[in-house]
Amino acid sequence: MDFELNDDQRAILEAVGALLERHAGAERAIALAPKSEYDHALEEALHEAGFLELALGEGTGPLEAVLVVEAVARAGGVVAFGAGALVAPGVAGRSLSGPVAMASAGNGSPIRYGAHARSLLLLDADEASWITLEPGDAEPVRSSFGYPMGRVRSASGDSFGRGSGERMRNWWRVALAAEAVGTMDAALSVTIDYVKQRRQFGRTIGSFQAVQHRLAECAVLLEGSRWLVREAACLGAPSQAAAAAAAHATAAANRVFTETHQVSGAIGYTREHDLHVWSMRLQALRLEFGSIAGHQRALAEARWGEQSR
Amino acid sequence: MEFNWSQEDGEFRRELAEFLDATLPSDWDEISKGGPGSEAQASFSREFAHKLAERGWLTQNWPAAYGGADATPWRHIILSEEMWSRGEPRGPQYMNVNWIGPSIMEYGSEEQKREHLSRISRGDVLWCQGFSEPEAGSDLAALRTLALRDGDVYVVNGTKIWTSYANHADFCFLLVRTDPNSKGRRGVSVLLTEMDLPGIEVREISSVVGERYFHEVFLADVRVPVSCRLGPENEGWSIVSYALQYERVGAPRYARAALTVDQIAAHARERGLLSDPMVLQKLGEARVLCEAARLLTYRVVDQRTRKLPPSADSNLARVAGTIADRAVAELALEVFGEDAMIYGSFADSNFRMAMTAGVAVGATEIQLNLIASRFLGLPRE
Repeated sequence: MDFELNDDQRAILEAVGALLERHAGAERAIALAPKSEYDHALEEALHEAGFLELALGEGTGPLEAVLVVEAVARAGGVVAFGAGALVAPGVAGRSLSGPVAMASAGNGSPIRYGAHARSLLLLDADEASWITLEPGDAEPVRSSFGYPMGRVRSASGDSFGRGSGERMRNWWRVALAAEAVGTMDAALSVTIDYVKQRRQFGRTIGSFQAVQHRLAECAVLLEGSRWLVREAACLGAPSQAAAAAAAHATAAANRVFTETHQVSGAIGYTREHDLHVWSMRLQALRLEFGSIAGHQRALAEARWGEQSR
Repeated sequence: MEFNWSQEDGEFRRELAEFLDATLPSDWDEISKGGPGSEAQASFSREFAHKLAERGWLTQNWPAAYGGADATPWRHIILSEEMWSRGEPRGPQYMNVNWIGPSIMEYGSEEQKREHLSRISRGDVLWCQGFSEPEAGSDLAALRTLALRDGDVYVVNGTKIWTSYANHADFCFLLVRTDPNSKGRRGVSVLLTEMDLPGIEVREISSVVGERYFHEVFLADVRVPVSCRLGPENEGWSIVSYALQYERVGAPRYARAALTVDQIAAHARERGLLSDPMVLQKLGEARVLCEAARLLTYRVVDQRTRKLPPSADSNLARVAGTIADRAVAELALEVFGEDAMIYGSFADSNFRMAMTAGVAVGATEIQLNLIASRFLGLPRE
């Protein structure tokens, strides 16, 4: 057991931090939003620096990839980094040409980065398959929830074989949870800055206990999510740990959305204030792949269900 | 960063589990139903802790100089988890090991160390914590119990309240005001007080939580020798802070909560409820909250291993534990339904145990205040 970053992990985070400083951030996300554009420049920079290869790298693994997924989400990067850097290696054992999107077969719901993706990872019961998307295979879907969304019209591809479905479910949950952690972290930190400077009744609103307790509970949920995600990644995404991470992080995301908006008041709803860059994404992450209750049931089934006996 | 246990730590846990399987009697479930403070469990603890001491495990976390084994904080949390997940067979003696002993090591005289540390490490002494008073709950520094010097004794007058285990305790870690003109954190001292001194009266407070759970301790002209004072006169608050930092994450209630969730799941299966999506969802939710509390506690253990100063992470861990306990209490009622209304039933016992989570060992609101100021950097009111 060891909860500190080692020297290599610290170096990775410093390097990706510097890269994100140049290529990502709220301003960039806001600029790309009106036309639902994808940040190909950021993806290219992350790819060139080798951050998409961490999960299968020499001396690095899924834990290092998860740390970077958190960081990219915290910077509001408009890239399908969780799918590309964590899920693709976890399912395929190699990286796939990006952007990579993920979908469950047969539900036809909008998916994140669907209209921009070159590769689609499709989950169908026991099997995951890989589909190369051509222009025209997908259409954009307008959404309030902070990511460019799309719907794939029709697709068939190459299966990774029996058992690959379980791998995809688990890594998808870990990736989703890691993105939620980075996104909550940023939403909470924007909000804390705001309540420290916003004054009403002659004092900063952050000095009111009613405000403090809401944000303190968010911090408890966020930090719990952070360690659940890291543990799940380090252990190789076993079903229980992966579902636990996703269940906690998505429930936390829902709570962080509510509380950060509540204490930010009306300015929090505007596009001139940065909160929305992260807060609206929290609801997309919460809805994706079965929502909170789905992850909770998945954990219960993995621990106590017929198959686990 | 590493989330796998070392081989040695894994073996230690297995060894402990085997010892518990062999040592706990067949009617242990019945004994442990009333919680660590119950008559049955407190008297059992004298026998059990003695056996633990024989194996060198009772005070393994203490330095070798005081009869311990210098076990790492990781070893100590493994031991604490195994104990709590079995319903804490050490009874109230977990407090001795976690913070009373360490406080005496840090602040005690040679004579106090000789007397108390050896008794604690033999496993046959029970302590209670004389902190809260009728007018000093969350605001502990408002305590009024007065100890006035009369030659080589203090004459103590006042009332302590909510004192768990007071009915069984041999000693009290008693917080008093030694400077009658002081207020707040100044002028406070700690007296290591024998509970059978004349003038000490213990009364049970009837409660819905359980029998003999809370007590009032009345102190009327109790003459406590000055030699029983821990640390310098009027400087007791720093000892309290030292003790509390150990107390906050000393008892891994999440380990017990997680076991309870497993037991509830087993009952749900017997009743054919495991196919109910709502039951599955609530089971999953409760399990997740226990897991989050576990990892946040581990974060604190990790910092302790590195000998870092106490941080707000211990407050995060405490709040997470409370959230988990609440979810488990809710789950028990949800799964057992009206059967939970039977006193002493599994659901009822667990519900009552969990219902104190947000108040026991300090109100959650205080933990949230500390998180706001220390972790989020928000200004005080």
